[in-house]
Amino acid sequence: MATSFKTFDSRDSVVTRNLLHEAIPITGTIVSGTYTNKAGTEYNIKDYSHGMFQSVYDYPYLSSSANHIFDLTMGYSPSSSLSQSLAADYSMQPKKINLYNQMAQVLVGFDENGAVRQFDEDGDLTGGRKIRECYFFNFARLLSKDEIKKGSFSLTLGIGQGYETGSFRQMLTITDASGSTSYKVNSPAGEYGILTASGSYGDYTSTSDRNPLSSSTPNCGLVYYQAGIAVVTASVFVSGGLKVPGGTGVSNKGMGNQVNMVNPAGLSKPNCLSPLIFTGSTIDVNCDALRHRIKNVSFNNSTELNSAVYFCRVNNTDFNYSANPTYLKDSKLVVKTNAQDLPVTYVTTVGLYSADNELLAIAKLSEPLKKDPTTEFTLRVRLDY
Amino acid sequence: MGFLDNSGDIILDAVLTDLGRKRLAEGNGSFKIAKFALGDDEIDYGLYDKNNTSGSAYYDINILQTPVLEAFTNNMSSMNSRLMSIARNDLLYLPVIKPNKSGNHTVDATLSTYVVLADQTTVNTMQGPSGEAALAAGQLNGDVAAQGGNFIQLDQGLDTSELSANSVLAADLVETQYMIQIDNRLGSIATPATNTNAGETLGFTPTSIDDDNIATYIFTLSDQSEVVKKLTTGNTFSVIDGPQGTSVKFKIAASLDLKTSAYLFNQLGTVATAAQTLQGAGGTDLLGPDSTPVTAYKFIDSTVRISGMTTGYTVDLPVRFVKQT
Repeated sequence: MATSFKTFDSRDSVVTRNLLHEAIPITGTIVSGTYTNKAGTEYNIKDYSHGMFQSVYDYPYLSSSANHIFDLTMGYSPSSSLSQSLAADYSMQPKKINLYNQMAQVLVGFDENGAVRQFDEDGDLTGGRKIRECYFFNFARLLSKDEIKKGSFSLTLGIGQGYETGSFRQMLTITDASGSTSYKVNSPAGEYGILTASGSYGDYTSTSDRNPLSSSTPNCGLVYYQAGIAVVTASVFVSGGLKVPGGTGVSNKGMGNQVNMVNPAGLSKPNCLSPLIFTGSTIDVNCDALRHRIKNVSFNNSTELNSAVYFCRVNNTDFNYSANPTYLKDSKLVVKTNAQDLPVTYVTTVGLYSADNELLAIAKLSEPLKKDPTTEFTLRVRLDY
Repeated sequence: MGFLDNSGDIILDAVLTDLGRKRLAEGNGSFKIAKFALGDDEIDYGLYDKNNTSGSAYYDINILQTPVLEAFTNNMSSMNSRLMSIARNDLLYLPVIKPNKSGNHTVDATLSTYVVLADQTTVNTMQGPSGEAALAAGQLNGDVAAQGGNFIQLDQGLDTSELSANSVLAADLVETQYMIQIDNRLGSIATPATNTNAGETLGFTPTSIDDDNIATYIFTLSDQSEVVKKLTTGNTFSVIDGPQGTSVKFKIAASLDLKTSAYLFNQLGTVATAAQTLQGAGGTDLLGPDSTPVTAYKFIDSTVRISGMTTGYTVDLPVRFVKQT
């Protein structure tokens, strides 16, 4: 009986799972500068009338070639000392608080009383210091895919004064260096790691300002791997150098024991990201200031690749004839001279079918594969989901 | 000592067809891969040079250099010619499926294609006012398919004069099951039987309709549909010169859309020109000199695919749907 199909049995397929990683480097020039005209309009930055967040694209966003890479926003907790009873005195305070609460309820969840938890600097929700003022980097699914690879996140910021006068003289690198081994699992949004800071905060032009961090790698934020969101404490920008929670010396000047931006001394430095801009300016202005201080963002993403591998076992007696119209001339096989010659065919395509003969998937060979009764092979066809 | 060749195992990345994606999205378990087939769509076996004087290694040198296209995701565009498994290696002839263009199953004499008249108005014009005259050869009554006397027939067998038509085709090469595919927006497959008193035609139910509206019908020798029939040995009316297998006969009924609306003709159709006059047998011609006033028509060209389920041999028949405007 001639047949053109071969049925799979239970041993002819297997399901595998692989993690695929891509390196995602985002240079600071993409985030600010590359697509700016003389008037300062940034064509790859999309602001919205609601002013709740800012979208960053890798190309002018009106172009169909543009890809959305991440959103920026910020906010602070209602229990932050920046939160004032007279909201009208503070630009967009309700929205900033709403954003903090929204992000916190999604990423940290609620306590036993139904109240929104605050971001915690070490992930221990039972106590310790809270992150009450922060910036949020919401990476597009296009970049983060299934998740940010643990231990791969890196964000380099210029933390000096006004960016026009040298914000990159003081650099800070924020990483989740411990993420691959000690990530947290007590978030409703999946796993997250602790962001720690390293680098120098001193002014490179002045040796006296080039002080080391008071703690070698102080905590300064959280990165939610599956959600693709980085939460960075606003304290990294408090003027007068990085304010390290719990640290000592000049770098902890005025910080108290909480991760927050209340730092009266910072107000003495103009153009610096400080409580003044955090509370007194709109979210868009804060995002603009932050973007111009980003030197680099990089991480690896992970894609969980589930594959079904079908073993197409072609035995020596299989598929030695063809229904190709050119295979016959007056019903006679063109590849044979007499009946004793071996038939031969050339495979270019593998079709995977349903029981009803519906063609569900196709695999192509790179070149024709010769098949005759003296050969047999197994074609492994992988279908990724 | 050289290394062993470990290239026998080949890994290929597959892509889902549009139909596969649809079945996956349905989420009802209809996406289940059960079998595989091999295809050789790109291969031109005419390049096989078995007389090459350089030796057998050069017989297929041109074939092996054939570039292979990337996969088409349209399920109807791939695997048009499949490889077959036959237990014997000594076959020198393989059966073909060939349109039998004679008698009341020939093509239209002017257009050299099968013409399906899409509605009653068109049929009446072609038949004449009484409606009793038969349609011209090659014209199928798409309005009430059973009333028309014309149908489509294809014969299967070894089409060679080197073997006697009185020989018996080996049982394992006889097609006993056929798959017929047609654009479901345009028409459906109907029984080849004729009943001039029929008020309407009961068409067959397609086995499946894919995402591109291609309806698939399966007919077998034993299904009482009258579509597949055994050809008697030595049948002189067959177009097969050698040993004969089976024939497949059917009519085409126009879809409800074509009968009742000009929408698809306006979207997909073409206005016929004078050179495309459709000859009427008992009635007037469409666009012809004897039609007063001149009756114009639009047409849609499509294909009907007939595949043998045993050998995988496939034939695409051109079909023209016609509607008087």
